[in-house]
Amino acid sequence: MSKTLRLQIILGGCVVVAAVLIFLWKPTVLIYGVQRAGLYAAIALPMALILGVVHIVNLAHGELMMVAAYITYYLSRSLGVDPFVAMLITAPVMFGVGILIYKLTISHAVKGPELNQLILTFGVAMVLSQLVNLLTTSQTRKISLDYVTASATIGETSFGTYNFLFVGLAAAVLIGLQLFLKRTRLGQAATAVGQNPNGAEIIGIDVQRTYTIVVAIAAGLMGIIGTFFLTKFSIFPAVGGAYTMKSFCLVAMAGIGNLPMIVVSSLILAVAESSIQAIPGGSGWAPLVFFALIILVIMTRSFRRSS
Amino acid sequence: MKPTRTTGSVIALWVFGVLGVFVAVLPLLAGPYAQAIGRSVLTYLILAVSWDMLIRSGQLSFGIAGFFGLGSYAAVMAGKWLGMAPILTLLLAGVVVALVAAAVGSVVLRLRGMYFAITTLALAEIFRIIIRNWNNFTGGPNGALLSGVIFGGNAAATYTLMLVLGVLAIAASEWFEHGKMHFALTAIRNNEVVAKSSGINIYRYLLIAFVITSAMQGVVGASYAQQFGFVTPESSFHMNYTLIPLALALFGGMYTSWGPVVGAVILGVLGEYLKLYIPYGHLIVYGLIIVLVLLLMPKGIVGLVRARMREVSHD
Amino acid sequence: MTESYQLRTEKLTISFGGLVAVNEINFSLSPGEIVGIIGPNGAGKTTLINLLAGLYYPTSGRVIFNDEDISTRPAHERARLGIGRTFQLIHPLEDLSLIENVMNGFLFAQGMSLRHARDAAAEVCILLGLSDLDRPVSRLNILETKQMEIAKALATAPKVLFLDEIMAGLNSTETLTVIDTVKRIASEQGLGVGVVEHVMGVIRQLTERVVVLDGGRIIAAGPYAEISRDPQVVSAYLGEAHDAED
Ligand SMILES: Nc1ncnc2c1ncn2[C@@H]1O[C@H](COP(=O)(O)OP(=O)(O)OP(=O)(O)O)[C@@H](O)[C@H]1O
Ligand SMILES: [Mg+2]
Repeated sequence: MSKTLRLQIILGGCVVVAAVLIFLWKPTVLIYGVQRAGLYAAIALPMALILGVVHIVNLAHGELMMVAAYITYYLSRSLGVDPFVAMLITAPVMFGVGILIYKLTISHAVKGPELNQLILTFGVAMVLSQLVNLLTTSQTRKISLDYVTASATIGETSFGTYNFLFVGLAAAVLIGLQLFLKRTRLGQAATAVGQNPNGAEIIGIDVQRTYTIVVAIAAGLMGIIGTFFLTKFSIFPAVGGAYTMKSFCLVAMAGIGNLPMIVVSSLILAVAESSIQAIPGGSGWAPLVFFALIILVIMTRSFRRSS
Repeated sequence: MKPTRTTGSVIALWVFGVLGVFVAVLPLLAGPYAQAIGRSVLTYLILAVSWDMLIRSGQLSFGIAGFFGLGSYAAVMAGKWLGMAPILTLLLAGVVVALVAAAVGSVVLRLRGMYFAITTLALAEIFRIIIRNWNNFTGGPNGALLSGVIFGGNAAATYTLMLVLGVLAIAASEWFEHGKMHFALTAIRNNEVVAKSSGINIYRYLLIAFVITSAMQGVVGASYAQQFGFVTPESSFHMNYTLIPLALALFGGMYTSWGPVVGAVILGVLGEYLKLYIPYGHLIVYGLIIVLVLLLMPKGIVGLVRARMREVSHD
Repeated sequence: MTESYQLRTEKLTISFGGLVAVNEINFSLSPGEIVGIIGPNGAGKTTLINLLAGLYYPTSGRVIFNDEDISTRPAHERARLGIGRTFQLIHPLEDLSLIENVMNGFLFAQGMSLRHARDAAAEVCILLGLSDLDRPVSRLNILETKQMEIAKALATAPKVLFLDEIMAGLNSTETLTVIDTVKRIASEQGLGVGVVEHVMGVIRQLTERVVVLDGGRIIAAGPYAEISRDPQVVSAYLGEAHDAED
């Protein structure tokens, strides 16, 4: 216990020192890194919720965000409203999508072999992205909003401020999930189910219902997160895939069940990524650093588990 | 390999064999369009077979597209920079991909379950990014072009090439299914601790399976690139090369050497028709197949047929 | 006077987190002898076998086999060297048939070809009283499962063999059958056998020498008659075991 604490302090110290150095080098790198970390953490948190409670890696996670972004896109276009207004419809719709996906697919595999779960959710991911492709073609879509170009200047550096919204979003999702898991009856039941499904069943918790709601909540959150994503980024049917992978890696890095650590792991990866991007000619290589880090993290994690 | 074969299964085997030869030779008689379909079926057939060969060890790979793309690039680069003969580039691609798989596999094969599966997905992405950024060698985002295609685009010759590769793939799969490999991989899949205690060197067998199946994927990628004469990071590493083989193998039946073959022939031919009717998003069918097969018939067609045959022989 | 043992350990120790499951154990096993390894639940018996078979590596201490330090050799190599074992919780390989389960040891620990392995496996199965060898393992009854477990271990051509509660769950006639088999194998093949059992009758009938573990340590060793009178052993083990047996 004290050993892990010491490790965390050392790790934290390294992160702070690195952050200061980067800030002195190029302040915008740190700023953009933090903003990006907000986005990554927000997306990864609902996946962590499902993994922690239902013990399933949802490989359709990024696709849920993509679907949500498309729903908001078409709602706001056809109703002529701001995406954030459309979100009021998107989130509950995604909640329903979550229930549907759970009932139709995942519920039949929760007790099955892990390989089947992985292949199943991979299949769901493909169905979702191909469905959107079929309905809307693979064309890239984007909503132009004037408020997203907001910027600020400190000293001589000016930078976009809109993306700080993602930091707020991540904080809200994290705090909301923590409150849910610790303070609500349902959340406490979910925690119990996550730790020991058989035990939870014995003390009278409806495990299937808990799983359904947890998946639905995660999907509903993706309704919100997908909308935020849409306001700033272009969307296309395959946009979600990379985020599934990134989310999984952030969760693995944080340790399954440890939601607050996801913020830290997001910060490390996002700042590393934006640092590479800041090096001339480095922008194309940034994702490589990300994936290499990911593999490194997974390897060390699993080595520690096996020893 | 089973010591007792009923007359029924012997007859089934013969019918199957004759039918197989007939189906394989048919496109040669039927002309270029049938040969094009046959080529595409065989491409995915080999990928499906190779994927299944690895999952018999319990290791799920989502990295087919990665090794396929790597093979494609190896072949086109060899043609472009070394002026190597097309048919030789297939061999070279196999060797290059095998070496990469050995290097990568020696590290990632320590992972299991979701960790391995997602790492293979990330690997495919890493290969693509490296190739995309290695501008002066690979042509970067624009890809690279060959001056000509294999056999000058002769459809019958190309089909024959793919047929040979397909037969080799099935032979490799049968070797896995009936040799020591079968015992090693099944034991590893069922219980690693028991496997070790029987003297099985798990790491060694996983590495052999990983290198062989990756090399198969690389050779298919090479042959594909040689048929079309170009590569790009986006098209050569496309997710389809992972998605479709998975669906075919699942549909036909996992953990058997004939499952992926049956799946590839049925769905491959069907897929060609589908492509005509829904040009965009026909791939949704493969996603649906994955989901439905896992939920409704996890052992696939071959599993269904086997269960049926067992019922009949018990009556 | 140097005594050469087939297998011995020197201060063998392993800890999981804070728990020292096996603590400075000096154990030895000579060819042809049958040694009982007893002790209450959680004493460290299975962990000791796992250390000998290479599934765990010791935190400190050594495992020595034929004068060679094998402490860091992986499990599959130890199976080839001749350290065989059965599992307390039996997990047959469910996608292989009965005979195929047994063939593995011949194929991989002994490096036989498929055909030779099949013949040899059939022979061992018959020796153990198994028949209808192409059955899926799901169709085996409990006695057959135990017999298969022993056959799987024998297939690796062990020089020493550890049986981890192989009698558990068998009725008294079945137990007698297996006791006979073990005795026969040990004397015919000159194997050193380590037997972990909770049933004292089995230990009495099978073993010449008994080692008693408690809390990861050896608390007593000697012939069964002596051990069973040792007050320390009685308090640590026999009392509890008698309660558990009834
Ligand atoms: N892999 C492990 N990780 C953590 N603790 C372990 C591990 N393996 C064994 N232990 C612990 O070591 C102790 C000894 O366990 P072991 O299984 O060797 O006991 P045993 O003597 O075989 O008991 P039983 O008679 O119940 O089979 C127990 O407290 C057990 O919980
Ligand atoms: Mg035990």
